[in-house]
Amino acid sequence: MTGAQKPTGRIPGFLRRREWLLAVLIVIVYFVFNSQLPESYTVVNLLNQSRVYMVDVGFMAVGMLMVLILGDIDISVASIAALASTVMAVTYNAGQGLPFLVSVGLMLLVGLVCGLINGLLVTRFHELFPMIITLATQTLYRGIAYIILKDQSAGSFPSWFSKDLGYGSVRILGVEVPLMLICILAVFPLYYLWIHRTAPGRRMFAAGTNITASRYSGVRTDRLKMTAFVFNGVMAAVAGIFLCSRTGSVKYTIAAGFEMQAIAVAILGGASTSGGRGSVVGLLLALVLMTALKNGLMLLYNDAFILNLSIGLMLILIVLVPNLWNMYRSMRTLRRQRLAISKS
Amino acid sequence: MAEKKQGRSPMVMLLKHREIGLALILVALFVLVGLRNPAFATLSNALFILEDTSIMIVLAIGMLCVLLVGSIDISISAIMAFSAMTAGIVMKGSLNQASVQQMVDGVMQSVTVRQGTPLIWLILIGIGVGAACGLVNGVIISYGKVLSIVATLGMQYIIYGLSHVISDGQAVYRKDMPDAFYQFSRTSLLGLNAKVWIMLAVFLLLWVLVTYTRPGRRLYAVGSNPEAAQMSGIDARRSTLLAHVIMGALAGLAGLLYASRDTKITQDMAMGYEMYVIAACVIGGVSVSGGSGKITGVVLGALTIGVINNGLTMMRLTGNSEFWKKAIQGALILVSVIMNVLIQRAHTQQILRRRNI
Repeated sequence: MTGAQKPTGRIPGFLRRREWLLAVLIVIVYFVFNSQLPESYTVVNLLNQSRVYMVDVGFMAVGMLMVLILGDIDISVASIAALASTVMAVTYNAGQGLPFLVSVGLMLLVGLVCGLINGLLVTRFHELFPMIITLATQTLYRGIAYIILKDQSAGSFPSWFSKDLGYGSVRILGVEVPLMLICILAVFPLYYLWIHRTAPGRRMFAAGTNITASRYSGVRTDRLKMTAFVFNGVMAAVAGIFLCSRTGSVKYTIAAGFEMQAIAVAILGGASTSGGRGSVVGLLLALVLMTALKNGLMLLYNDAFILNLSIGLMLILIVLVPNLWNMYRSMRTLRRQRLAISKS
Repeated sequence: MAEKKQGRSPMVMLLKHREIGLALILVALFVLVGLRNPAFATLSNALFILEDTSIMIVLAIGMLCVLLVGSIDISISAIMAFSAMTAGIVMKGSLNQASVQQMVDGVMQSVTVRQGTPLIWLILIGIGVGAACGLVNGVIISYGKVLSIVATLGMQYIIYGLSHVISDGQAVYRKDMPDAFYQFSRTSLLGLNAKVWIMLAVFLLLWVLVTYTRPGRRLYAVGSNPEAAQMSGIDARRSTLLAHVIMGALAGLAGLLYASRDTKITQDMAMGYEMYVIAACVIGGVSVSGGSGKITGVVLGALTIGVINNGLTMMRLTGNSEFWKKAIQGALILVSVIMNVLIQRAHTQQILRRRNI
């Protein structure tokens, strides 16, 4: 949460703000890998690879951030993306079915409906944790995709979709910037304004910090939750669009496991699963950091497991180290106070 | 109030003991599927379901401990894979193969006999590795004050990565397993499979621990009100640690059973299994916010998922029900969880009405 935590420490100072910590880490990661692989690990390469590491997980993380700020969680996002992609591919039917843009519209609608179902269940059954509900809908949505597609795959999208959107790029200042990357980067300023600069956005932080207090002070918390889950569903469908354009075909297993990556990115960017915290700038920086790290590790080891290992390690350390630092500080002050008391 | 003394109508009893309600749902499911396919409602199939679900029950019992203290562990599938892989590497390294002439069905045949590290060592290694992973989880959560879902999400990635690193990408197959390990999940005693016996042993042990011992009761105290527990002299951090170590050890044991059953150990073994285990606990009436839940409920919850899984295969809904299975599974989990909530609401309402509020 920008501006919420005043830096109080003496030595690390600005490093206590998650955004600055992430920025420093990005620079370190970049220079470490750049010195190891001076030819292949460059900005151009990073921009190229951002298609794979940044866009689809990024859109899911954008939706997830809002849900996390409210103190909820949505595990079904990857399944929503899979179901929406499936509906799109099947209705388009390689040019035999509906016009392409109509099926893309249908895809977004599927995302919206799935999000709506999640939101309704979460707000109607307060006793159930969103984690449990979305756990069940995760199986349900992917199950429906499985019923529709069976073990087949569908694809053959129009060439502008799979070529220009999937692999096209725009020349900006002499650098080829992928079209997808521009799409996701365009979302962030708007998202920043919504979350950090409007009343509904600020209310989400309030509701995430203390839902009862917010409800008593007139915030319609259920409506906020509905908004978050529906937005999350639509964003999952958008992530599905970019995933389809990149991979060119849809199977029911598409995007499996992406929900955990989206949650990991949002938490890395300063969100907390207990709600009330999160930052759009932090999310963007966390995405860049993940891209830089994943790309470097992939070039060095070419191994998805090592990649996940390092992400897991980073996720825990970035939360654990400040905690330990705080504990050490409070223990030191306590000891000093005791010392002062015993002297006087 | 007149009915104050004799308020023990069957309905109240049912609402009070949610396990009875769950058992009724289970029986109803059994009868319904049995009407469709008589082969389902037989003793042998019931035993098969019990055998098939026993690994999930072991894990769900561990998850109960973790949920009781208000924590959660989503790294259990990774722990299963890691401990099985560690044991797998040990058994692969110590394997002795020999061809032996043996009488099989009255004919002399050459049979390959595989021997290696004794089974008991493998089991101890598996449980030890699992407990160590649980210890790390517990320390990060209780002493590092990291939210359990974040810590175990990170640990899931790390542990899967580690099992890949130690195995160097190699899987362990039947040909690398000593016969004793292969037989581990296939031996029967008194008509019951070894997995069922192990499950029963775990159940008894944890039932006594959770219901009758001090450390077990502390799990409930810490989960229902951490501050109050701390005030009354309970070290909440130590209880959380204990719960995670138990979970880890049971995940290690379950990993070995899983590996022996599937005769294959891969680095991504059991991926996604943790979600079914959590669902089993919630269906069994365990609260994710901690402090409430019974071990019998958890067992019934896991059995419900087992019956759903097995029943869906036996129902033969359409020509190829395999495709329908996942969606129905999700829907049924959702329905049973919501039913639980509705029952609970009815219960609360009844209490309020009795108090005349």
